[in-house]
Amino acid sequence: MATVSQSTCLKVLFFGRLKDLIGRAEDSVNSADAATIEQLFALYAARNPELAKYRPSLVASRNQEFAAWDTPLHPGDEVAFLPPVSGG
Amino acid sequence: MTTSSHNDICQLVRNPIDMPALIREVRAPEDGAIVTFDGFVRNQSHNRPTLYLDYEAYESMALAKMREITGQLHEKFAIHSVAIVHRLGRLEIGETSVFIAVSAPHRAAAFDACRFAIDTLKRTVPIWKKEYFEDGAVWADGELPPAPAATSRAKPAS
Repeated sequence: MATVSQSTCLKVLFFGRLKDLIGRAEDSVNSADAATIEQLFALYAARNPELAKYRPSLVASRNQEFAAWDTPLHPGDEVAFLPPVSGG
Repeated sequence: MTTSSHNDICQLVRNPIDMPALIREVRAPEDGAIVTFDGFVRNQSHNRPTLYLDYEAYESMALAKMREITGQLHEKFAIHSVAIVHRLGRLEIGETSVFIAVSAPHRAAAFDACRFAIDTLKRTVPIWKKEYFEDGAVWADGELPPAPAATSRAKPAS
């Protein structure tokens, strides 16, 4: 997706198998394009249909806190899509 | 190195974890016990021989979640201090991926806190491992962290 200026963008991060699927670890999205985390995910799922099947087994975070899918987004927010964690 | 209150240590490292040094860090004259957890790379996964593992983290959030765990330990258990260190990158069979040391005046709290720390880390800290085999690689099955189902403002009025 097109890179937009810092002041109006959302920073989007992908980890684990999602990073492999999307083909990148980090992206930038105009905050006007997604009012919630769910809408942000839908932008990517529209481009990567396979992504949609991971939706039930993902959690999202906003500004490094686990967040509900209906969490509203604001310019400058950092959103990450997190597969099940497997540290340890 | 990130240090919070109680001389706690939370670190993500890319080199071998210096376990004796961490044990010395949490050890104090008022303590009577240290319990440690050494998690290391197993040579097989579901009966397939593992070649090596590669760990990655959402580093800033992982450190924040590790600090939350140390905070919870102090709230729940009568402990003195904690070190939680996770290694990232490529790890060979037998190398330590995670090390936890908990010091306390008495052993029961140290045992309980150490168990709570590793169990919570495995559920809530955003770290992922990819398992490499002779014939390919897979992201390990993991645990889905507990996350809020919906924001309070989105709940329907009843």
